[in-house]
Amino acid sequence: MRIIPYILYLFLLAFHLTIFKQITSAYGGLIDLSVIMIALVALYRSETTTLWFAVCAAVIAGSPRLDMMPWELLMLVIPALVVNQISVRINLESITSRLIIVGGFLLVHQAFSALIISARDFFYLMYSSVLPTLIYSMIVAWIIFLFIDGRITWKKIKALF
Amino acid sequence: MTWFSTVFQKNRRFASFGLAAVFFMLIAFSPNVIRPLVGNVCSSIFFYPFAELKNYILDLQHVSRENRSLQKQLTETSLQLDFLSEAKRENQRLREVIGFDPPENFRLVPVKIVTLRQEKYPIAAVINKGSLDSLTINQPVINRFGLVGKIREIMPDFATVTLLTDPSNAVSGRVTETREIGIVRFSAEKGMYLDNLPADSDIEPGNLVISSGLGGVYPAGLAVAIVDSVTAQRGDILKTVTLKPTVNFFEIDELYVLIGGNK
Repeated sequence: MRIIPYILYLFLLAFHLTIFKQITSAYGGLIDLSVIMIALVALYRSETTTLWFAVCAAVIAGSPRLDMMPWELLMLVIPALVVNQISVRINLESITSRLIIVGGFLLVHQAFSALIISARDFFYLMYSSVLPTLIYSMIVAWIIFLFIDGRITWKKIKALF
Repeated sequence: MTWFSTVFQKNRRFASFGLAAVFFMLIAFSPNVIRPLVGNVCSSIFFYPFAELKNYILDLQHVSRENRSLQKQLTETSLQLDFLSEAKRENQRLREVIGFDPPENFRLVPVKIVTLRQEKYPIAAVINKGSLDSLTINQPVINRFGLVGKIREIMPDFATVTLLTDPSNAVSGRVTETREIGIVRFSAEKGMYLDNLPADSDIEPGNLVISSGLGGVYPAGLAVAIVDSVTAQRGDILKTVTLKPTVNFFEIDELYVLIGGNK
């Protein structure tokens, strides 16, 4: 029963990759939901859970492009384990510190993806795709952290309107 | 077995890493067997429902766009159809006019109505030709169904036609079947009626009333009305005859002025 939420996360990731990713794109930036979800699991769950969730998420993220699947595994599993180790060893109370970690994860994933897809256009991709995606995804991650910390609640949102 | 279980429990972390490493090796070094298999399994379980949903939404968008385009085409086509129907009606009217023979010594001048003066009924019409087109006062005006009225006022470019529905405009009429003569009048209360017809007349509903030619304004033989009902009370001198005009005065559009006659 404990794996059901993770299966739902994987379905959410598949939904995002199939439908939501293109709809929510803005100025070349996309929401890198796979990294955000893996980082959240890595920050709040155990090492084994992080490992297997990252493996499954990487397989799903790599399914649309089979040639990228091993790279996705490497680029998502290793940073996920690193994030998990950091969260175990360092006290990450503030949102900023968690955002910095998620940002680093996003940068590694996006930069390596750009390097693998087209090394020749790396700097152009950094400017046109990686940075907008980084900023956009960090904003989404920031909102998620605000929800997790209880700074934004449905009650507060209802009170606003 | 117990030994294996104990070792696995003690080294759970390393076992997980080992399994993950083996899985990675299989994915990385079997690009033609394991990787497509894993990809297909993932696609069919996780992506297929959402891909179907996406296709369904795209289909709906396509149908919506196509619907808008077809609605626009339909509007354009109905507009064209309206124009063509109007052209067809005009064509039909003109064909009837070609076969329409004016009375002897008369010729037809086609005119169009500019404005129609209407109270309860239309009583006068302004036409688009006047004295510059050889029109004069008291010339009869007809359409393809029969007598419409006569010209009352004339200007260089326009003329006013008094219709038969004007109570002041009476016509001498003849019942074609009985050859009896009466006066065709119109009033807002009674509608069109035939006056001065004796009580012993044989007139019947459905008889045609034409202009008699008496009075010198209208030539003889123009259709005026059809007898609608005939009533006569005992002791009455005259019959009460209501008529139904052959011309629908609410729908008149193309008219013809009869020019010529004995003059």
